[in-house]
Amino acid sequence: MRLLRRIGDRLATTALVLVGAVALVFALTLVIPGNPAQVLLGPRATPEAVQAFSQAMGLDRPVAERFALFLWNVLRGDLGNDVVSGRPIVTMVAEVLPYTVSLTLSAIGLAILFGVPLGCYAATHPGSLIDRAAAAVSIGFIAIPNFVVAILLLMVFSVWLDWFPVLGVSRSGTLGDQLARLALPALSLALGWIGYIARLLRASLLDVLGEAHIRTLRAYGVAERVIVYKYALKPAAIPTVAVLGLGVGRLLGGAIFAEIVFARPGIGTLVYDAIASRNYPVVQACVLVVVGLFTLTNLLVDLSYAWLDPRIAKAEER
Amino acid sequence: MATLNRRQILAAGAALSVAGTGFSLPVLAQSGRKSVTLALPRDVQPPFDPLNRLSFPEGNILRAVLQGLIAFKPGTFEWELSAAKRIEQVSDTVIEFELKPGLQFHGGFGELTADDVKFSFERAIKPGADGKPMLYGKDFAALKEVEVTGTYSGRIKLKTPAPALWQVVLPDNSGLIISRKAYEAGAYRTDQPTKVIGTGPYLLKEWRPNERVVLQANPAFQGPKPGFEEIILRPVRDSKTAELAFRADELQFTAIEPADAADIAKIPGAKILKQDSINFVWIGVNVEKPPFNDPRVRRAIRLAIDVDQVIEGAYNGAVGRAYGPVAPGLLGNWKDAPRHTRDVAAAKKLLAEAGVPTLRAKLTLLNKPAYQNAGIIVQAQLAEAGIALDLDVQEGGIFWSAGNGEAGKNLELSLQRFGGKADPSFQLQWFTASQIGSWNWQRWNSPEYDTLFAKAGSLTDPAERARLYIEAQKLIDESAAFIWLTHEVNVYALKDWLTPGILPNGDDQLYNRFSPA
Repeated sequence: MRLLRRIGDRLATTALVLVGAVALVFALTLVIPGNPAQVLLGPRATPEAVQAFSQAMGLDRPVAERFALFLWNVLRGDLGNDVVSGRPIVTMVAEVLPYTVSLTLSAIGLAILFGVPLGCYAATHPGSLIDRAAAAVSIGFIAIPNFVVAILLLMVFSVWLDWFPVLGVSRSGTLGDQLARLALPALSLALGWIGYIARLLRASLLDVLGEAHIRTLRAYGVAERVIVYKYALKPAAIPTVAVLGLGVGRLLGGAIFAEIVFARPGIGTLVYDAIASRNYPVVQACVLVVVGLFTLTNLLVDLSYAWLDPRIAKAEER
Repeated sequence: MATLNRRQILAAGAALSVAGTGFSLPVLAQSGRKSVTLALPRDVQPPFDPLNRLSFPEGNILRAVLQGLIAFKPGTFEWELSAAKRIEQVSDTVIEFELKPGLQFHGGFGELTADDVKFSFERAIKPGADGKPMLYGKDFAALKEVEVTGTYSGRIKLKTPAPALWQVVLPDNSGLIISRKAYEAGAYRTDQPTKVIGTGPYLLKEWRPNERVVLQANPAFQGPKPGFEEIILRPVRDSKTAELAFRADELQFTAIEPADAADIAKIPGAKILKQDSINFVWIGVNVEKPPFNDPRVRRAIRLAIDVDQVIEGAYNGAVGRAYGPVAPGLLGNWKDAPRHTRDVAAAKKLLAEAGVPTLRAKLTLLNKPAYQNAGIIVQAQLAEAGIALDLDVQEGGIFWSAGNGEAGKNLELSLQRFGGKADPSFQLQWFTASQIGSWNWQRWNSPEYDTLFAKAGSLTDPAERARLYIEAQKLIDESAAFIWLTHEVNVYALKDWLTPGILPNGDDQLYNRFSPA
């Protein structure tokens, strides 16, 4: 019951966040210079064509009416039609969303796969050569922008070694081909996060390993590996899980660099093109979807705290 | 809860390793000559309709799938017969045509007839079913009607003489012929984007948004067999990615930055194609805004700029200098146009005479490297003449609206680049008074220019047209509101076994003329 109420509270907050985000994007579209119709139609556009396009985009209507209409349509599950192609925006988003989600999850998966063992090792062997090397490399990867990493990966693994293809995705290819086309984009996004997770987990694990109940376990002669992986890792993972929740949101938006550099379809490239061409309905819809996914992820993260550390659930019950 | 043991993890790792050995196979598979993969600068957007297309990438696809009465030859703006067996201008306002018999629309939509020509062209002057005009309807502004005189023959009747029709409409995208029957069955619309029914050398087999377009050779095409059984078009926004994909043989053709040409030429099996363009880049001055409304100030700015130095720095010397908007080789090119040279002392003297010995100005420009470099060089050059130049670098969305409407009144200097077409009327149309507030960002208003432009557009004698267009360009030069920089150069990286089909403006490409060398 408490859980249901908590989910209900969070969903209500999520709805407010969504409306706020859409309102903000809507307001931004009003202040960004540039006539959308003119930008979309290009230098050959006649004034008549520009006017017709403006009407099609609803730009001739009052701002409040446009916003209210957009919200009403969203509530009905209608994100409108793309003003360029006339295609339903829901279809356009649905076409590219799986690419962005698979890229984001792969990147997060890689980050966990390598970051967690690295963080555990560094926490249990503080000051060791691997700990110090991991710190240096982690900070390096955190500091280097994603798109630079992406270009470097392409140079090394695609051009020099010829191990992975450069371009995009392959729907008709084999599973191996699909994975090959996902590997470098996911790695380019994951590298920074591997270091981040490793450093964060190292710090929190060191804290937990110093707590009284861990000392008690040691006194009972429980093996150090069991202490770390069975008793310390779960509570120590809470800050990391919180950051990962935010990370999913950042990657959903940040994947744009990987999508452009690797010429992959995705929400990032869709919104990039839409912003460049002032295709506001598509921008609004993409923001809505990304914010929705972001808040949903964070809801799941919130709910996971109680599982990771029962003390949190007990504290909430009080 | 299921957990993975060490053995399972090792097995998964081995499986990934095996998959890794096959990762380069798709790349190798592309080395066959039946298929070629070309880069697109962006994803294409439906509708794939000649008169409602968005821009040139969509137009290039349409050119491969549909046929016009006539078509451009690769590398030139000369035309050759396409769907027409015969076409002739029989008077100033009448063009007669006869179609090749037996041209079949694919998908079972029957034979191409004169009625399809009538339907395709007259759509431009009649509102669509939704009452909206066609986006490119103005291309046929001179059209009165198409009279069908037989199954394969007809007469294009014009309201006024329109010589540009032969250069920028009939052989171009707006002149492509669609099937009336297919249109009425829902083709060429956005809800069925790949239902593009044509008689051309290729079929639009597949369009996957942001991923690829696949053109497949049309087995029923009656002209010369296209060079490849399949052409794959991949949208690649980032030029560096396109270069890397070319190096990895995932692309066999891509536009590149001129500065990268020498490096890419060293790749085994690669060649570089450089082609003088007919686009035009210039610095314009808003003649309405003080103190630029004083011709002496505009002349001073022109005298203070060393164009040769600007294009050397901005384009690494890869491009030639422009002396007007109409490129060499085109009708109306002013080959004796004045070669303005830099004279800082004269510029300072003019500024002093105009009462503005020191001046602050703003140059609005696109955020492209070449243009930004040009802006920096111009900034340094103008500083020597006492003009402090601020660079207002904008991304495309903002930049292309900078001269529109009321906002255009505040523009001072702008660095612009327009695409060119085969007929000078296209290049010169932007400087008429009617374009003020739209694309005439200089807000230059010359009734004499407008008269010359209108008159030249209605004449059929090429020599007289050329003379009038040159007279019009003299007025442009006298205004000192335009400092011509370059016509640019199109640079492409391609495999040495590939022969491309590109028109002189670079943007327009003939996919059906791409072939193994």
